[in-house]
Amino acid sequence: MTTLVGLRSALLALALAVTGCATPAPAPATPAGAAATPTRASAAATPTREVLPNGVVLIVQEHRAADVAAVQVWMRVGGRDEQPAELGLSHYLAHMLFKGTPTRPPGSIDQLIEGLGGTSNAFTSYDFTHYDIVVPAAHVRPALEILADIAVNAAFVAAELEAEKKVVFEEMSLVEDDAEKFLTRHLSEVAYRAHPYGRPILGTRELVQGLTRGRLNAYYKKHYVPQNMVVVVVGPLTPAQVRPLAAATFGRLTGPPSARPPAAAVPSLAGGRRDDVRRPEQQAYLGLAWQAAATGLASEDISAVDLLTYILGDGPSSRLNQTVREEKRLVQSIEASYVTRELSGLVSVMARLDPKNLDAAEAAILDVVRRVRADGVTEAERQRAIVTAEAAYAFDIETAEGLAKSYGQAETTWTLDNELRYLDRLRQVTAAQMQAAARKYLGDDNIARVRFLPSGAR
Amino acid sequence: MLALLAVPSLGRAQAPADGVRATRLDNGLTVIVRENPVAPVVAIALLVRMGSRWETPDNAGISNFTHAVMVKGTTKRGGAEIAETVAGLGGKISAAGDVDYSGIQASALARFWRELLEMTAELSLQPKLAAEEVDRERDWLLSRLQRRRDNAPSRAFDELYRKVYGAHPYALPSLGTRESLARIDHAAIVAWYRAFYRPERMTLAVSGQVSSSEVVAEARRLFGAAPGAALPPDPALAPPRPAGGRTVIDAPAQQTQILVGGLAPSLDHPDHAAVKVLSTILGGGMAGRLFVELRDRSALAYTAASYYDPVREPGVLVLYLGSAPANAAQAEQALMREVQKIRDVAVSADELARAKGYLLGRYQMDRRTNERLAWYLAFYEIEGVGRTYPDRFRRQVEAVTPADVQRAARTYLSTLTTLVLGPAPAR
Repeated sequence: MTTLVGLRSALLALALAVTGCATPAPAPATPAGAAATPTRASAAATPTREVLPNGVVLIVQEHRAADVAAVQVWMRVGGRDEQPAELGLSHYLAHMLFKGTPTRPPGSIDQLIEGLGGTSNAFTSYDFTHYDIVVPAAHVRPALEILADIAVNAAFVAAELEAEKKVVFEEMSLVEDDAEKFLTRHLSEVAYRAHPYGRPILGTRELVQGLTRGRLNAYYKKHYVPQNMVVVVVGPLTPAQVRPLAAATFGRLTGPPSARPPAAAVPSLAGGRRDDVRRPEQQAYLGLAWQAAATGLASEDISAVDLLTYILGDGPSSRLNQTVREEKRLVQSIEASYVTRELSGLVSVMARLDPKNLDAAEAAILDVVRRVRADGVTEAERQRAIVTAEAAYAFDIETAEGLAKSYGQAETTWTLDNELRYLDRLRQVTAAQMQAAARKYLGDDNIARVRFLPSGAR
Repeated sequence: MLALLAVPSLGRAQAPADGVRATRLDNGLTVIVRENPVAPVVAIALLVRMGSRWETPDNAGISNFTHAVMVKGTTKRGGAEIAETVAGLGGKISAAGDVDYSGIQASALARFWRELLEMTAELSLQPKLAAEEVDRERDWLLSRLQRRRDNAPSRAFDELYRKVYGAHPYALPSLGTRESLARIDHAAIVAWYRAFYRPERMTLAVSGQVSSSEVVAEARRLFGAAPGAALPPDPALAPPRPAGGRTVIDAPAQQTQILVGGLAPSLDHPDHAAVKVLSTILGGGMAGRLFVELRDRSALAYTAASYYDPVREPGVLVLYLGSAPANAAQAEQALMREVQKIRDVAVSADELARAKGYLLGRYQMDRRTNERLAWYLAFYEIEGVGRTYPDRFRRQVEAVTPADVQRAARTYLSTLTTLVLGPAPAR
């Protein structure tokens, strides 16, 4: 899920960083799990999906794993909907919403949720913005009330709005200081250039500095309308229990129809693009990316590209790990991932390495990809990749919020139905289809390349 | 320490109402199984009492190093075969060293639980520990050390612990140091493995869609033959005596890291719950004081949180800020004002209730995935507090009063060690 910018997850990210020595030995270079794709599902239990009269989509699934419920709202608006002068507004809204409404003073929402033993979070992506509350199941009603209130009544108190600018500047610094986060971001910039997918989700320092309440509020009123909202509730409750709560909260919201602008096609990567960046780290980083199948383009190739990415770079048994790290010892860590946005997928390979190995490692990676194009994958690899995908799904459904997230993301960037049939589709992908996908997408001349070089390097 | 284990003795399994069955094999190895039907997965935590606590500056990181080599091959299978087998189970296996424990964590689709348990047994009881893997893993660990040093928050925490703990082994980084890693050789790894991988020191916890009686039987078959031996108790450590003070480290970065740490009680100390609540009031969540005052109200910091990890010896309560260099001095002052305030003024009933709700809510949420459930079962056993600890902790937290919090603040936020790491010109 590398597309997400988790503004409230900074605490968690840090916790991971400082307990790093206690975490598994050969950790991959990239922070997120590999092959973050449209999540997979085909559980015995299936969700109900309905459209409320005002256009809000409600998805509910009973999930009795624990006495905990996930209550989420997904907005069909994100970085890609911003005009050049609006860069960063989607993300800024995600910062401001939990701060309060006319009836909920600043700080009171966090106090209420945390006092109930719950947590809240917000994530901004290019295709959606996502608000997330996890609470003990008895408190689903206040969680829905809060989300429905902030969805249309955010106050944007002037002093809070100004103060938050510094927080966003700090967040920008945090991303720039973290080599792996910055590599993920910069690889997108090189892969998509001026297209919205290539722009910074956080905006620029200049735009955020000049951000006004009027402009933010106009963007909010335009996009935070019922037709753009998807509410997902997963927990130890039945749809019949959730329905009246949703009707009494989100069901009452009004607003103009959705005015989401049509999204532009992404620019071709033909011929490839490259950028080198000097960085203070002592180690080098190499990122290679190819544009690939996207969820919004009804592509039949998604499952093939997904499995192919597992085979190339997920975990110690993957080809890139075995060849480039274990055999040739050219990198300290290497991982491939596949992020599917609505208008474009991106297959990335990221490695951390000694700067002197940069050229050899790149050649070795491209050779691994070339061999897949030429000779395809083995049946054993295909089987392992399917089991790995199945396991990724099985671990997702351990928690209510994991399941809710896969449904919300599917509804906003794909379809819920595609999501529910995904595992079955994966199982039907043949080795020949994977080879065809490699030939179609992973060429030698359509690569975005980013290298981070130590500023003191020889 | 074995006497403290809250496990029924000698081979007789018990399956109480909480769905957890605990057994001690004849050789001393403890097996704990939680049946959890939620998802078709299984997780294993095999922890052993080995870690920084037993290390010295000369061999710092050897527990973690040993584990890195252990998973690279067994007497039956090479590294590539292990990786392929695990991937074929939809599984993941990792191994690492920590301060009070080290071990192997594994997870897979539940239908492969036997294969996963067998792999865990093979890695832990029959590792090859090949000499050439020692050299390869040393290079890998050195690169991780560099990466950790390049990461400002990680480095700042390492430096703070070093200052607070002084000569106590908790001062040693789990990854080790350049010097110690260079010194640790193949013979040292083999000796370290043999000294610590004894059934009496090991706890195997399994959580998932499994049958506890089947898992216990299989565990007995796989682990029961490992020879046990009466082990001497671990030597007592002299308690750390931090002197406090302020350290500044120059590092190129966009952000300045500010850490303030005080020595705090161990996991089984009567004050542990009160300090947990204190930590939550200050730096737990977005309604915590540091977040509200330093981020929401004054925007002096982006990250504003506290950390207090449970450990067997004295822990550290860390108040942490990530701040723009231009704001760093002001942020540090504001942080110290919060410390002073919580020592001087008792918290309100509302704020206390919020903190308890948040603390216990997070605790409950953290014990939901099988990976975490297995880890908690093994961890509490290793730490000697037993698997009834979560209930005890909950009751202790609920009993904490405003006076307890103030007393904890005065006791544990008195001698403070400050560490500031960031770009030079801003200070």
